[in-house]
Amino acid sequence: MIACKMAASGKVQVLSLYRMLLRESEKFSAYNYRTYALRRVKDAFKENKNVEDPQNLQRLLSQAWDSLALIQRQVTIGKMYETQKTVVETGFKKTL
Amino acid sequence: MATRALALCVRSLTRSSTRLYQGSVIARSSSALLISNDRSFSAISCSQRTRRIEQSRVSQLSRQYGGLPPLTLEAISDRVMYVLKLYDKINPEKLKGTSHFMKDLGLDSLDQVEIIMAMEDEFGFEIPDAAAEKLMTPEEIVQFIADKKDVYE
Repeated sequence: MIACKMAASGKVQVLSLYRMLLRESEKFSAYNYRTYALRRVKDAFKENKNVEDPQNLQRLLSQAWDSLALIQRQVTIGKMYETQKTVVETGFKKTL
Repeated sequence: MATRALALCVRSLTRSSTRLYQGSVIARSSSALLISNDRSFSAISCSQRTRRIEQSRVSQLSRQYGGLPPLTLEAISDRVMYVLKLYDKINPEKLKGTSHFMKDLGLDSLDQVEIIMAMEDEFGFEIPDAAAEKLMTPEEIVQFIADKKDVYE
């Protein structure tokens, strides 16, 4: 019963972490970093979605929290050194 | 502000007509005020960018808010279904209003989080985690958004 409860709260925690990571990754101003971060976060969570072992889970979660902090830092730094948008973002017509 | 400037103009004009000996200074100031007043009108019409106001020189003031047309249940469900159809893991042919994301469409909880995020982007407000985990069918999402946006029919 307690284990079940813990698993349930763990699930909520993981999902909210997933959401935070995605929301933070969306803030990258550079197209390449943004798409990479989104893809990497999604892939990493899907890859480990069946992990049950608590120790392993704890390790992965702390890794994710570190990544979240890292993404937040890099987003801030990225905003200081903004560059031109890539052709993919600006669309074909505007570049002509 | 414009009305105050106008009132000042009128007052100084009447004063200038009664006391003509002070005329030159006051007339100059009133004409300056008139010019500034005129400029503020043209600034308004420029910023509104509506030809109608420019033509009729502020004969009637109209309020122009940036509001969207009011939502209806139908419009909400159309938009929800549209977003869901664009999601690459959902087969648009299988999708129905009542289909359960996990049981019928074979998605997992991570995909459901992504769907809820897409809904947040589409409708422009945040859905809290506690409410988001209960939204499992398109109909529930429509109902939730309608409640939040005060749409009842």
